[in-house]
Amino acid sequence: MSSRMPPQLISDLAIERVLPVDADFGCEIESDIRDEDGVVVYVNISSHKLKLLFEMVPGMKTNNFVGEIFRAEVLRKRRRPPPEFQWLHKYASGAGSTHNSGSSCPGMDNAVGDSMERGVDGLTIQDESIADTLLGSPEISVPRQSIAKGATPIAAREIVIKYQMAMREQHYTYTQALRVYVGTWNVNGQPPTVGISEWLAQDPDPPDIYAIGFQELDLSKEAFLFNDTPREEEWQEAVLNGLHKKARYHKVALVRLVGMMLLVFVQEQHAAYVRAVATETVGTGIMGKMGNKGGVGVRFELHSTSLCFVNSHLAAHVEEYERRNQDYHDICSRMSFTRFLPPKGINDHDQVYWLGDLNYRITDLDPRLVKDYIDQGNYLPLLEYDQLCQQHSLKNVYAGYQEGNITFRPTYKYDPGSDNWDSSEKNRVPAWCDRVLWKGDGITQVAYRSHPKLRISDHKPVSSLFDSQIRVIDAAKYRKIHEEVMKKLDKLENEFLPQVMVDNTEVIFDTIRYLESQTRDLIIANTGQVPVTFEFIKKLDDSSYCKDWLNIEPYSGFIMPGEKCDIKLEVYVDKKSAFKLNSGEDKLYDILVLHLDGGKDIFITVTGTYERSCFGSSIEALVYISVPVREIPLGRLMELENAKEVTSTQDPYPIPKEIWFLVDHLYRHGLKQPHLFEEPGLNSDLLQIRNWLDNGSPDPMPGSIHSVAEALLLLLESTAEPIIPYNLHSVCLDAANNYVQCKQIVMQLPEHRKNVFLYLCAFLQEVLCHASYNGLDTKIIAALFGTIFLRDPPRSRGDLSSQARMNQQALDRKKVNFVYHFLVNDQSDFILGR
Amino acid sequence: MSAGPYNYSYIFKYIIIGDMGVGKSCLLHQFTEKKFMADCPHTIGVEFGTRIIEVSGQKIKLQIWDTAGQERFRAVTRSYYRGAAGALMVYDITRRSTYNHLSSWLTDTRNLTNPSTVIFLIGNKCDLDAQRDVTYEEAKQFADENGLMFVEASAKTGENVEEAFLETAKKIYQSIQDGRLDLNAAESGVQHKPSQPGRNTLVNDQQVNKDTCAC
Repeated sequence: MSSRMPPQLISDLAIERVLPVDADFGCEIESDIRDEDGVVVYVNISSHKLKLLFEMVPGMKTNNFVGEIFRAEVLRKRRRPPPEFQWLHKYASGAGSTHNSGSSCPGMDNAVGDSMERGVDGLTIQDESIADTLLGSPEISVPRQSIAKGATPIAAREIVIKYQMAMREQHYTYTQALRVYVGTWNVNGQPPTVGISEWLAQDPDPPDIYAIGFQELDLSKEAFLFNDTPREEEWQEAVLNGLHKKARYHKVALVRLVGMMLLVFVQEQHAAYVRAVATETVGTGIMGKMGNKGGVGVRFELHSTSLCFVNSHLAAHVEEYERRNQDYHDICSRMSFTRFLPPKGINDHDQVYWLGDLNYRITDLDPRLVKDYIDQGNYLPLLEYDQLCQQHSLKNVYAGYQEGNITFRPTYKYDPGSDNWDSSEKNRVPAWCDRVLWKGDGITQVAYRSHPKLRISDHKPVSSLFDSQIRVIDAAKYRKIHEEVMKKLDKLENEFLPQVMVDNTEVIFDTIRYLESQTRDLIIANTGQVPVTFEFIKKLDDSSYCKDWLNIEPYSGFIMPGEKCDIKLEVYVDKKSAFKLNSGEDKLYDILVLHLDGGKDIFITVTGTYERSCFGSSIEALVYISVPVREIPLGRLMELENAKEVTSTQDPYPIPKEIWFLVDHLYRHGLKQPHLFEEPGLNSDLLQIRNWLDNGSPDPMPGSIHSVAEALLLLLESTAEPIIPYNLHSVCLDAANNYVQCKQIVMQLPEHRKNVFLYLCAFLQEVLCHASYNGLDTKIIAALFGTIFLRDPPRSRGDLSSQARMNQQALDRKKVNFVYHFLVNDQSDFILGR
Repeated sequence: MSAGPYNYSYIFKYIIIGDMGVGKSCLLHQFTEKKFMADCPHTIGVEFGTRIIEVSGQKIKLQIWDTAGQERFRAVTRSYYRGAAGALMVYDITRRSTYNHLSSWLTDTRNLTNPSTVIFLIGNKCDLDAQRDVTYEEAKQFADENGLMFVEASAKTGENVEEAFLETAKKIYQSIQDGRLDLNAAESGVQHKPSQPGRNTLVNDQQVNKDTCAC
């Protein structure tokens, strides 16, 4: 199959055969638990008469393989009409014969899975109609994914339990010898005019099981054509009267085809343990199927042993032994108990008893000589010429069956009513037509005889007694072992849950500062036996799986057993989260829920200390802080942030000193700076400026002009609310074209915000006075500061539809207009008005 | 082939709750593995266990969520109450504080589960009778007053562990039979799955999974 084992490359594999996934395709999983640590999955694949058993190690590849097959089957069942698989013809010649059915490939493991998988893939590509269905039906991915989860399919579990119970059968069963009586009689169409207990009940002890077969019950045309005869009832009655009187019997089944009838009884004490009774008939007579010849069968299970009784009447005439062989083979192949899935044949039973008028004769001997031997009681020479003995030893018929020594006179053919050999013109040679054979373990023949005193037919009845070992289930032991198996599977199922180890469930960050990111690594190791799909999931009522100052990369993933995944946790406090941390609305504390698909959840606690900063502090709080932010006591900032009316012994600044520092610096050093506010600052500068503002320093403000400009913008952007509060946002936009209205709104702003607004506008006017140096344009500044003064309320930017984008552009224009008024008009009356 | 006698027809979701260190994980382990876990680490998260049991001839798959008991996780573990058919509320008979907190656990359970959720109170560590800090009678009275089922159990010896899980299932099954528990309700904590032989069952099972995995 492959040039290298185990295969490394695709070239190590070859296409052994290609199986169409059609109506005759079947796939079943069996799981066989060898021992505590090794679990092997068996997959039975059948196609027409070919049966393949694949042994695989559970894992991704197996899951994929089985998933693909089930998917293909689901598709196949949905399709009408059935696919033709014409493309398969080109493989038909090279695909080899199918004689090696049931070939087991132990050790090929994934290799087989791989090559087969490609086979199935190839199928989906080459059959266009299937490919269409593939694209068209979204559900089909479901089975595959579920299997890939490593969840134990319940169907597999059921099979495992059955298998496990079968493995332990000897632990919960014991054998009990039961007496089985098997009788056969060709009654030559006669009614039961005599009692038949001489045949059925001549032994001292009653048998446990009776199987009584008749042939030529009724030779009338009606019986042949309509399969209806009064004889059935008559002979059944005769049998019931003839059964052993020392026991009471329960009828298991009666089956009849024209003249062949089989009755099975068990002693009443066994009746409760008879299960799964089924009967079947096979006609091999005229046209090869009529019921004048053939066989009838009864199968059932007694305790834990399956039994099958077959009564047959094979082709007549001395020279027709090959027809008889053929009839036997036809009965074997066609007798199928179809109420079972898969149907059970004769050979699928622990014990088979075959009785009937098999019609084999004694050939090539002078009839007189035959009769002489018989008279001498010397049967051995005759048996050498018995066709059944000959054919049986050649294994042409009843291969695997046994027959006991024949020590009784031939049972055919007598003048009815006598013990005389056939005196008709035909003067037939006597023969042992009526026989009993058996197959299976634990069967001992105790008697094999004929009953010559019954003379109504041209045949004598024959009977055989057996001591047969029947496996009986010890109910208590069975329950106990069943319990153990269930427990073991429960245990296994729990072991097969996804398992991981996380190297740290308490992730602690150092002091976190504004705009300064910090990362910690986390290792998730798959310590279980199945692939793990993990994901950090949302907690109840949360909108995201983690706080907005935290980033998890990757936040979901897939880990093979024995492998691991590195997760990077990054904390980064920016303008979106800083104000919440300053105000105490949020803390650097989060519990992450790491969820394993189909398994447990692990909580990972993330903590850190946030160092408060003027960035993210509100204007209202900052004006009351006369010292650097970090010098005020812990808690004072929160108090200021959360207070509605600030009570303070000292008068507030008109505007926050931090804004003044930044603006003053720009006023002194940056008015002529080209592209002021347009070029970004350096991150390292920003961190220094942050420290300078938060800690206070006698040194001059660090950083480039552009960095200072960006720090100013960031300071304004990091507040919980923009300068124009959200509640006035839409009012301002509506008024954007009317300077007077805009002014009125600004007049109504809270005092410190109004101050900051006017202070900044005045500064910006100054900046624009130096446009010849810095190259700035009123529109640009208005646009920049419009988005800052009139920051959009949260969530309004989420909508990315074109309609929303259009709206956004219109809104942005209004913001520009609003700010524009204050950049081109003289504001001195405002300032004086204060 | 008879129709899948080993299939389960129901899935019941259980949660195990209670203070840290009362032995919730050990009870789960004892129930699923029949073993006592001597050095059980604190549960950091929610452990998951399953076992198939039989009630009135019906195979029932128990899906058991064992929650972290630490107070700091309380807010998070509340997410797991939803859709539980059974809640095993555990305290430690040798630590009175764990008993005193029961009313708070009960409040959470009542608030976050259905009226039909069966709550079973377990006084764990009954093997340590010498160190007993909560009398049986007192806890029994608490259980009666609040309409809870109650046993004292030992995850160490296994005493009453099986009983607690099974009695809870019986009660839930009764509720289904009586019609008090509506299987169609989204958060009943019970899934019904008619048994079918062969591979159909596999498909069915996956559909069940699919339906419930939308959380």
